[in-house]
Order: sequence, then C-alpha cells, then structure tokens
Amino acid sequence: MPPRLSVANLKSYFFTRNGLLKAVDGVSFHIEQGETLALVGESGCGKSMTALSILRLLPEPGRIVGGEIHLDGRDLLHLPEIEIRRIRGNDISMIFQEPMTSLNPVLKIGDQIAEVLRLHQGLSRREARAHATQSLVQVGISDPQQRLGDYPHQLSGGQRQRVMIAMALACDPKLLIADEPTTALDVTIQAQIMDLLLKLKQDRRMATLLITHDLGIVASNADRVAIMYAGQIIELGSVDLVFSNPLHPYTRGLLQCVPRIGEKNSLATITGQLPDLTKNHEGCLFASRCSCLCDNGQQQRPALKEVAENHLVRCWRQS
Amino acid sequence: MALLEVKNLRKSFKVLDPLGRNSGRLVAVDNVSFTINAGETLGLVGESGCGKSTTGKLILQLLKPDQGQIYYAGTELTGLSAAKMRPWRRRMQMIFQDPFSSLNPRMTIGAILSEPLIIHRLVPARQMRDRVIELLEKVGLSAEHEQRYPHEFSGGQRQRIGIARALAVEPELIIADEPVSALDLSVQAQVLNLLKQLREEQQLSYLFIAHDLAVIEHVSDRIAVMYLGNIVELCAASELYKNPRHPYTEALLNAVPVPDPHHARPLALTGEIPSPVNPPGGCHFHPRCPYADHRCRQQAPALETITGDHQVACHHSDQVGRYLVRG
Repeated sequence: MPPRLSVANLKSYFFTRNGLLKAVDGVSFHIEQGETLALVGESGCGKSMTALSILRLLPEPGRIVGGEIHLDGRDLLHLPEIEIRRIRGNDISMIFQEPMTSLNPVLKIGDQIAEVLRLHQGLSRREARAHATQSLVQVGISDPQQRLGDYPHQLSGGQRQRVMIAMALACDPKLLIADEPTTALDVTIQAQIMDLLLKLKQDRRMATLLITHDLGIVASNADRVAIMYAGQIIELGSVDLVFSNPLHPYTRGLLQCVPRIGEKNSLATITGQLPDLTKNHEGCLFASRCSCLCDNGQQQRPALKEVAENHLVRCWRQS
Repeated sequence: MALLEVKNLRKSFKVLDPLGRNSGRLVAVDNVSFTINAGETLGLVGESGCGKSTTGKLILQLLKPDQGQIYYAGTELTGLSAAKMRPWRRRMQMIFQDPFSSLNPRMTIGAILSEPLIIHRLVPARQMRDRVIELLEKVGLSAEHEQRYPHEFSGGQRQRIGIARALAVEPELIIADEPVSALDLSVQAQVLNLLKQLREEQQLSYLFIAHDLAVIEHVSDRIAVMYLGNIVELCAASELYKNPRHPYTEALLNAVPVPDPHHARPLALTGEIPSPVNPPGGCHFHPRCPYADHRCRQQAPALETITGDHQVACHHSDQVGRYLVRG
C-alpha cells in the first residue's frame, strides 16, 4: 500500500527580480496514516513553502518546477485545477498560524464551518449546521449553539484556533497540515491546543504534517521529524533517534540553542548566516557555518543518506 | 539602596464600546511593587494582557500611573515634568520586541546611533563617528555597517542595532520588552548571550519582560510572575523553578515545551485567560486553578513573604507543587 502522503524530490523555485530563489530544493519524505511528521527549521528554510506546494497554493512568483506529490497514490501535481480544489479542505486541510487573519471577519463562525461542509459534502443547510455544532463540541468549545452565531472578533485567540481546527477537520481529512498552529498563542493555551490536536489525530488516525520552529513541541507531539535548512532536508528520522543522537551539526546546534529551565550556562550559538538562496551554491549549504571543516563540503553537496534504520542525514562526515 | 523602586503602582485604561461609549475600565496594572538593584536582572513574565509591558512603560514615564510611585536611585520620578524627566531618561533605555518597526527605515545606522548622542549632547561632532563605530563593534557589528539602512539587515542584526542605540547614552537600567521573541532560535541564543555579556561589561541592570519562562529563567536573577495585572509570585530565579509556590507559576513551568521526547506530558491548564476588563472576583486565577476552593472565590490573596525573599499571593501556597512535572 502506498503511504498516505509521499513527496519526492520536490522543487519549488521563486522567479524573483533578483534572480532564481530555490525555496524548496529537492525535498523528499512520506507520512503514513495516523502518523505525525514534524517539519522543523528557522525562517526562510522552506518549510511553509513545502506545505503550500502540497496544496498547490504557492504564492507568486513561485512555481513547482519538479518532483512528485502523491496522496494515497494519487498524483497531485498533474491533477486539473478543478480536481485539486475538491481535495483542498476535504482530503487535505490546513491550519494556519494566525487564526484572526485566516477566518473571514464578516461571516459568522457557524456559516464558515457550514460552508466547508456544503461545498465538499453536499450537505443541506440544516444538516451542515447540525454537523458544525458537532465539530465545535469535538474541539472543546463550550456553548457551541451560541458560538455558531458569533463573529471571529468575539472569540479569544485560543477559541479562534479551535474554530480553525473544527473547520479543518469538518470533512474528516486524510492529511492535516498544521503550520505553526500555536505560535500566536499564549503558552498555557498552546498546551491545550496541542493536546487537542493529538487527541483528534488519535481518534481519526489522521496523517499530520506539523510545521514548527519549536523543538519542544516536536518532542512531545511528533513521531518523526525532518530538519530543514536552506530549502533542503538535512536530517530525517524518528523523534527518539534525532533528539537522542542528532547527527547533523545544524541539528546539534539547534538543540543546544534552546534555553532550558534550570540551566544558567551561556547558550551555544550557530555562527554565521543563512546562505543567500538566490546565489548558486555547489557544496554543502551548511559548510560556511560548520565546525567540521571537511574538504568535500566545499565542492560537493552531500546526499541525504540512511545511516541507521529510520535515520537519514545529509553530511559528508556521516557517509 | 535599590536602583529602581516601584511602589503600589496602578494603571487603568478607559474601555470604549464600538459606538465610542464608555464601557468600563481595564485595570492593566494593579498594586504592583518591586525593586531592582544595581547590576541585577529582574524578569517579568506573564501571558498576553497581564500588564507586563504596561509596567515597563510606566517606569519610563511613557504612561502616567493612576496611583503609586516610582523611585530611581532614591528620587521620585512620578509627577516630574517632561523637562525634568529628560536627564533620568538617559539613564533608563528601552529595547523593543520588533526589530522591524523600531528602526526608522529612512535613516542610516550611523544616523540612528548618533541621534541620541546629539539629543543628550554627549559626544562632540568630531568624535561622533568613532563613538558610533565603537557602539557597532560592542554589539558584534562593524564599521562597514554604518552607512547602511535597516532593510539591509536581518532580524538578529536589527535587534543588535536596537541594543546599540539603547547603549549609546550609557544607561544604567535597560528595559527589554520581549527582545528575543521575534527572533529565530539560533539568533535568539546569540542575542541573549550578547545581553548577558553587556551586563557584565557595563554593570547594567535589566528589567527583562517576556512571555517565555525558559528565556526569562535563563537571564534573570529574580523573577516576578504576573497574572491579570497582579504580581502573583516574586523570588530568586533558581527558587522559582525548584520551588514554585503559586499554581500559575507551576502551570507556566509545565507549559514550557521541553525538547526531550521522554519528558512526561504535563496536564494542561484548563480555561482561557479572562478579560482584564472584567476579571473574576476573589483570586483572579481561581477559575483555572486546580487548588481553588470557596475561599479563593471570595477573597483575593495578598502578596506575602513566605520565606526569605520569596513572595507569593495564594491561599494554598503550601500545597503547590503537586502537579509539577520535572525533567
């Protein structure tokens, strides 16, 4: 059986005035049913663009120039536009970082959830409304009947994100893409939302692509993790392996940058800056910031290689 | 004598409904008192709307308090005229959260850094350029950056410029309002290390305002935890994480995501953060508190010293710690 989602050698480039920007440069991964894969990296590493490529929603002047994306074996990149629209919000749903800007401010909550159901499942107005009430109950909103008549501005940040989740899950998607779902929320609310997502995932055996910059969230919520740097995956493996035995110097650096409660020593840092992705780079993209000084890194790009079962890394030192 | 002393500070704002009518008052800061000693870092932590940023603005006299006093090196600042306040302002500087909106996009870095020096007449024109370059080097930038504009820099570099601007007038106290929350992890670590290093070199004191307890805990000597306008716990940083005595502190400690897949998943706090316009009666925290009883619903606990320098406002402080998950 094919995996729920497979992405192979995806390349999404931006044709900017300043030249070609390789935002996603040969990304490959898969997600099984019921599994959560976390895509981690700092701003500009291409994690959100990978997600938008899966939905074929890349903003201008971006274009998918190569690779393959399959959902349950179905080729998403060569579907006609009308077909991919049936998949968005139905088979694949997405939750965004900022719930206020992704909800329509002039439509009532109930109408927004019902719209998804009427469009994709062909429910009647009444059925859709009943179903919307149900979905609000599932995401832990009290007084769901009352809330259906509210506008987004009447809800708190945490409640808005719950409504977003209710909308995303209304059609029982096969794949949920959650792009920084808790970054805009307070920490105590963040914990509630992550607990909710975990429970819903377990109930529905849904595949989840969790995009985040927070390694703490990855550790407690994902099964496998892919670390991205400058448009490429540089390490991929089970959360246990990557956190207990990080192999790429960038992964190690990131883990050491996290301030931990009770530790006062000065934080490790990663020196230098991201490479300019509009320039052509021959060698390892991390070479200029890496302490390992391997000779190969200057001339040739290392490949993402399996070094142990369920643990892949893109580094000359590991191959 | 403390460098800064804040006494019973209170600030409320008028709240207008959508038609512009008066619809109550929001008490942003309520009876807040603390001190900062020379060379010390006090962390102020809490979630949105708890009053931590308002407290910072009140100290700098950017807002006028309804009640309470602020003393700087023994002199009362509250009630000073703008002209009398100016020399004090040089001694307290602010670093802002957003490095993108806090630098004037039309000024070169050199102009941004020399402006405070001109206003406070600190450096003669001949020496200006040298002083600007010295400041740039102090924060890890170099002379070549002087003629560039803010848009040519990354977020981390801009935050360094913001720090250099604050340092330009040789302040004693820096109020840093979420200085690293807009930055990427690896850059956040660099800026935190820079702030610590500058504190050693220049004997600075910080009021460090943030929502991230792990960050606060890392930089602070003492920590004040705020919830809905009140300080609910105040003690040494090491004491706070070893021995939290307020249920909200305990919940915040549990809510910090730990980058370790074997760390136990703590129980999430229930409920939302109530609106500060209409906070719950009694103890403001009681609707979300796992320890609350009838007394908490009726009577607000006062901030009391329990041991040494450890202050807490909770009727059940002796029980707190039951739900704490340790690494």
